Amino acid sequence: MDDYKFLFKVVLVGNAGVGKTCLVRRFTQGLFPPGQGATIGVDFMIKTVEVDGEKVKLQIWDTAGQERFRSITQSYYRSAHALILVYDISCQPTFDCLPDWLREIEEYASSKVLRILVGNKIDRDDREIPTHVGEDFAARHNMYFLETSAKEADNVEKLFMQIAEDLMEQARSKDLPRYDTSTANIDSRTSTVGDSSCCGKLI
Amino acid sequence: MFGCCGCCSALRPRYKRLVDNIFPVTPQDGLVKANLEKLTFYSLSSPEKLDRIGEYLYQKAARDIYRKRYGFVIIAMEAMDQLLLACHAQQLNLFVESFLKMVQKLLESTEPQLQILATQSFVKFANIEEDTPSYHRRYDFFVSKFSAMCHSGVANDTRNKIRIAGIQGLQAVVRKTVSDDLVENIWEPVHMDKIVPSLLFNMQESTFHTNESGEEMPVPEEQSNDPPMLAETCMRELVSRASFGHIRAVLKPVLRHFDLHKLWVPNLFAIHTFRIIIFSIQAQYSYTVVETLMAHLDENSKSSPTIRTSIVDVLSKIIAIAAGESVGPSVLEIINSLLNHLRDSVKHGTSQMEEKMYQDALINALGEFANHLPDYQKIEIMMFIMNKIPFPLNENRSPADNLLQSMLLKSLLKVGTKYQTIHLNTTFPVSFLEPLLRMSLAPDPDMRLLVQKILHTLIDRHNNLEKLTKPYVDTNEISLTLEKSSRPDLIFINKHGPIIYDALYTSLQMDSNAVKNIEAVYTTLALLCVELASSETAIDLLQLVLGIQSLSLNSTVLSNAQKFNLHAVVISLLTLVPLVVNIQPLLDYAEKLVASRKQEAPHLLPDLQEQYPANCELANKLPHLLVDQMALCEYVKSGGLDPTRLAQTSPYGAGGPGAVLGNPRRSWVEVGARGSVVEIGNAAEVDSVSSSPGVQRKLPEEELTFESMKKVLTEPPESRKEMEAERREQISHTFRTAPFSELVRKTQPKKKLQNKLNEIFENLQRNENPRKTINKQHIH
Repeated sequence: MDDYKFLFKVVLVGNAGVGKTCLVRRFTQGLFPPGQGATIGVDFMIKTVEVDGEKVKLQIWDTAGQERFRSITQSYYRSAHALILVYDISCQPTFDCLPDWLREIEEYASSKVLRILVGNKIDRDDREIPTHVGEDFAARHNMYFLETSAKEADNVEKLFMQIAEDLMEQARSKDLPRYDTSTANIDSRTSTVGDSSCCGKLI
Repeated sequence: MFGCCGCCSALRPRYKRLVDNIFPVTPQDGLVKANLEKLTFYSLSSPEKLDRIGEYLYQKAARDIYRKRYGFVIIAMEAMDQLLLACHAQQLNLFVESFLKMVQKLLESTEPQLQILATQSFVKFANIEEDTPSYHRRYDFFVSKFSAMCHSGVANDTRNKIRIAGIQGLQAVVRKTVSDDLVENIWEPVHMDKIVPSLLFNMQESTFHTNESGEEMPVPEEQSNDPPMLAETCMRELVSRASFGHIRAVLKPVLRHFDLHKLWVPNLFAIHTFRIIIFSIQAQYSYTVVETLMAHLDENSKSSPTIRTSIVDVLSKIIAIAAGESVGPSVLEIINSLLNHLRDSVKHGTSQMEEKMYQDALINALGEFANHLPDYQKIEIMMFIMNKIPFPLNENRSPADNLLQSMLLKSLLKVGTKYQTIHLNTTFPVSFLEPLLRMSLAPDPDMRLLVQKILHTLIDRHNNLEKLTKPYVDTNEISLTLEKSSRPDLIFINKHGPIIYDALYTSLQMDSNAVKNIEAVYTTLALLCVELASSETAIDLLQLVLGIQSLSLNSTVLSNAQKFNLHAVVISLLTLVPLVVNIQPLLDYAEKLVASRKQEAPHLLPDLQEQYPANCELANKLPHLLVDQMALCEYVKSGGLDPTRLAQTSPYGAGGPGAVLGNPRRSWVEVGARGSVVEIGNAAEVDSVSSSPGVQRKLPEEELTFESMKKVLTEPPESRKEMEAERREQISHTFRTAPFSELVRKTQPKKKLQNKLNEIFENLQRNENPRKTINKQHIH
């Protein structure tokens, strides 16, 4: 039930209206909310998945894309293990903003955070960003890349599973950023797996 | 199922059986109270089992959540609450772990009801004082989750409930953590950046959104059910608990929030919030808020002037509250910073409307701040501002310098109006008075006007300013508040009167004077007269009156209108002086003059005008309407005052500005000497006055013997004027014929007004010390 082995914090960022909340809803609840309004501040979801027979709990923080909530959303980057940067493949401006987002991530998130670039809404016909452009961008900035559709549930499961697997691997090689102690230790390489992410040890 | 449980129950540990028994068959039945009591009793008698009980309860609840049997979850939570409250043993620490895991589990669910329930339990937990600190406990998740709840966007009815729960949760976290230094530091930016914006987000809903949409207006909710109110309370609590090192951690996210949500313009909410902060913050730290806001202004130096104006406006609204607590260097630091902003704004040189508003806002803030400082600090501030005014007052300054000067003078005026003068000598230390008088001779008439206004507000102690703003001759009309002047005041005016009078006199010589300038000088003189009512000042002023009259008769630079204005000032002062020191004969004389001027030359009476009809006759042609020195002496004498000084040549230049400006040092020395002589005594005075002016008033261009002096005194103004003209002729002749080098030598010292003034003041300072010693000797 709840004897999960790992706990990871995943934060979604990106411009308003690119489908962050829909991705999360699709993954956690298996549904596509048609008239989803703009997220206010931050939303929170949880999902436990199984990787290699181990239970992994994903805490997913879905942030508001609107500029005015930037101060609160940024405070959530800091403790993230993985950051999903989302853009809308049918909307050029959301892609153009990516460098700005990366700058924010550099500034506020841990340097070792796992970064994934996601082009959402591939179900739409009016694509403006070809796949290879997104791929290039991701490769240049050392990110994973995936194109998804929250509406058609394409690649959504894969996206989060991939993240869970990667983070688990990182955790096993003891290279996961630690948050639960003091913030000053974010970059320390000496973190152990058990302390920070394994709840089982507490029992 | 029941039977199965029954048969197993014998094999299960006792605590598990006790826990199982508190759950009813159907969740609707609610907690089995009797069995809970048994469980409580058990855990109290064997506290070592408490952590196991907690763990077991948690596992049960986790299973129930998974199976969406929320009724049982609620019961489990309730049981945990009860146990938590009932047990105060050492083992509580371990039980708390399960308890918090349970709370977290509930918060993680998407069910609003469970989230609210979990928050309530958490609040209860936060109110318990634990005897053993838990170093390893982390509230990271709770802060994150509660902050997220504060932003809940679910359908309308539950939305407020969740938001309230979020705020309560944050409040609980803060309460739990601030009291104990050993647990997690809630003041870390990582937490504050979540907590503060969440509270602000809820607070701002009240002022704008609800009012705008009006949807929640008809239903006045209870205070505790209103997220904005609750958020505000929480904010107050948070701020009031912040120690010095943590204030910035709170303020930074506040400022960022305002930036991002564009809440500076309009700034109602910002003002509201900062008022809350400044009222809640521990008083000794309140100036940190001002400092931080000021720093934010620095950061926004590139933003639009409207934003800056708004920030300054907020500053001015709160600065008063902070002022009471500010001491020592921090005060000057704040002033300095405000002045720097003012300077920067002026330097940008944009004369836009918004920029002007920004400057006004800055000055306003300065005034507000000064208003709430004790008086001795106001003087300090005034001197500080004075020091910031750029000198010299060259003609060729850039417009920006000019603007800055007038801006600083405006700030000075603002501070001055807040200051209540008690003794003139404390209000005007030499280091303040001198630069101020220097400024009163600035080339820019507007600036001179400002200086006069500063003088007005500082001199006026009995609220006579309103009544004396314009020259008047009708003495019955106005009732002045009079008070016998104190000895320190008289000492002050004896010491500094001469330089004040001279500066005023000199400023009247400026041909750029507008009516309001002349009126302002009149007001200053009138105020001095009223505030320092004594026979000494009366004589001084009458002397000055004569000086002004001769200036208006002889000046070659002043326009006719300006001359008429001066005559009006002369007659107004002449009526005022006897009124104040009560010399009836002199008053009668003045009234007689007024009456005849009314008939023959109303243009020589107030009100002052910029333009006079062309047919107005010059005063020189109407000698019988002028103030006669001899007559003056007579009346003064009959009024019981000693007219000796008045009978002497006026220390003020008989000729136009050339005479005064060309020969300032002599006149200073003379005036200075007179001032000290008064202190020493009458015998010396007669001596000194009779000897010194004759010698010292000698002008390089003009042979001044006793004969010529007598001539000046006795001859009608026409002939004096003729002589003047002759002299001018001579000068121009010299200039036409003399060799260049000689001309240079002659003109050099007159070249700049500034040089002259510097000389004057240097000289004055040199004279200061010996005079002081004389005074002391006299007093002893």
